[in-house]
Amino acid sequence: MNKLWDYRHLTLKLAMSEFKLRYKNSVLGFFWSMLEPLMMLIVLYVVFTNLMHVNVEHYQLFLLMGIVSWNLVARGTGMSLNSILGKPSLVQKVYFPREVLVISSCITALLMSLLEFVVFAAFMIFFKVMPSITIIYFPMVLVVEFFMILGVSFGLAALNVYFRDVQYIWAVVLQAGFFAAPIIYPISIIPENYVWVIMLNPMTRIIDMLRGSVIYSTVPASGDMIYIIVSALLLLIVGYAIFAKLEPGFAEEM
Amino acid sequence: MGNVDAIVVKDMWKTFRLPHEKRNTLFESITGIFDGKQDYEEFLALKDINFTVKKGEAIGIIGENGCGKSTLLKVIANIFRPTKGSVKINGKITPFLELGVGFQPDLTAKENIYIYGAIMGLSDREIDARLEEILDFSGLKRFEDTKLKNFSSGMQVRLAFATAIQTNPEILLMDEVLAVGDMEFQQKCMDVFQRYIKEKKTIVFVSHDLNSVRRFCSKALLLRHGEQVAFGDTNEIIDRYVYGIDVEKDTEDLQPDPEINEPRKLKEDIEGDKTRWGNKKVEITDVKFIDKFGRESTMFNSGDPMTIRIKYDVNEAVDDIQIGIAIYSDNDIMCYGTNTDIRGYVADNVVGSNEINLNIHNLTMTEGKFHFTVAAHSKEQAPYDWRDKQFSFNVVKKGNDAGLFDIPCEWKQ
Repeated sequence: MNKLWDYRHLTLKLAMSEFKLRYKNSVLGFFWSMLEPLMMLIVLYVVFTNLMHVNVEHYQLFLLMGIVSWNLVARGTGMSLNSILGKPSLVQKVYFPREVLVISSCITALLMSLLEFVVFAAFMIFFKVMPSITIIYFPMVLVVEFFMILGVSFGLAALNVYFRDVQYIWAVVLQAGFFAAPIIYPISIIPENYVWVIMLNPMTRIIDMLRGSVIYSTVPASGDMIYIIVSALLLLIVGYAIFAKLEPGFAEEM
Repeated sequence: MGNVDAIVVKDMWKTFRLPHEKRNTLFESITGIFDGKQDYEEFLALKDINFTVKKGEAIGIIGENGCGKSTLLKVIANIFRPTKGSVKINGKITPFLELGVGFQPDLTAKENIYIYGAIMGLSDREIDARLEEILDFSGLKRFEDTKLKNFSSGMQVRLAFATAIQTNPEILLMDEVLAVGDMEFQQKCMDVFQRYIKEKKTIVFVSHDLNSVRRFCSKALLLRHGEQVAFGDTNEIIDRYVYGIDVEKDTEDLQPDPEINEPRKLKEDIEGDKTRWGNKKVEITDVKFIDKFGRESTMFNSGDPMTIRIKYDVNEAVDDIQIGIAIYSDNDIMCYGTNTDIRGYVADNVVGSNEINLNIHNLTMTEGKFHFTVAAHSKEQAPYDWRDKQFSFNVVKKGNDAGLFDIPCEWKQ
């Protein structure tokens, strides 16, 4: 860990350059990256308010917050998957702790999501919903989400070096996760008996708390907070253990 | 500081698994388990390597292609981990295994300097202070805001090198990356290298250029097929490499062309052979180049002694025999020629097998491949057996003088 702290400069540098690259090549780069979640928002909004009659207060904001916070998971893990495999020269020709590559990918994803949260803020203003003091919980929950993503990313990035089909399997898992977490629907539509199942998924509670703190001015339940912190820590420990176990062979396996 | 070891490699082994068919997917691995076959081979890349580099020392790693030089460098750089044994590093390592690692073609030269600098361990503030110098050195000031993808490969290498040398390495690992580029660039590299040596940096240098190793490194490590053959004084090690002293069974392979040393075979097609002629009253059966260790070789250091051992059969009694030789450079310039008569020596003319040696005190050619002619002829120049440029040997450069031949000289004022 100490060693990693010495490389914080490099980590940020790599994250920033990757971030810049995303928006560099097209003049409307930033705009295009916003377009995807917005299109999704429109489609889902139309489908669910008109056809399924979901009855949720501020459904547009509810939906957008769900999409944006899930995007962070999808993008963070997705970019990290290839963070080792996609940079052969950095792995085979120089040495720095390989954790740097995974962490910087997650930071890039976080930066991109922060931009989306800015757009979300614009929507809040547009729909005239003002957040209350509970918004201070938003960054806290976001930090927990980030570390959870980091933990999963460590494991996936390392496994992907050895087994290239991890990336395809993960794409399917993400797809399923989008519907398994209450992103487009509220938890209340789940039959009473099955609520505990959906609550096992830490992302359920994270999304719920992010929405609550920003849109509905609710204070997160301390039980939920503990649950997500513990799961993030567990995922970080397991993910990093896998990473540390496989890391010595990276340069040879690529 | 003075006596601290910078690199200690102890009983180090490195094996690679070479899968017969690469299993890259989970599915293949799972089905592979049920096959029950072990479908990879262990490839021993490095075998029991032991050496120590002291702080401020420069060592060279030499050996043929594929002997494990680069693997060893990567193990020292912590890119590969040893399979057995240990590598202890004391100090900050800067590997120059490839220039321009992590360059982003879509970012500008300036942005890339910052990224590459960060990879090589420089902070933004350090780069701020040296940015001008880097741009000047690479000669790319005008293009600092140009995207890297619009640069020629030469420009990219220059930019990478200019940035890389701004790092302040404690231990420098250098593969042959610096052997690219034009003369001017290579000279720049050499200057920087010289500077590092003067600053007493610890350097591990991998090269085929024995002359550079001799010039820069006080010690050398010789590898052969992943085994450490010798470690010690550079000149001694290079001798061992050049003369292949440690290769017992491989001597045969060192012959430039096995057919050349097969007189029997040559005899058959003597009629049509344009490189051999004569009436065969005397027949040259064998020519060997003997090095200073008394072993047959085809590689010689410039300036070293060499003995040419010529065997000849006298098939019919003849009045006199003169043995002559000539040495040609690879581009067919005759460099030297002499014979027994010129040197006032009378060669034996007893019927049967004879042997004559020509002792050369020092090979004055600087480097290159040389072709060798041997002839037996009468006083009237009528050839008994003339073998024209049928033999050859190589001379390995020792100093930095230019040209074909070394002329013993010194400067005085």
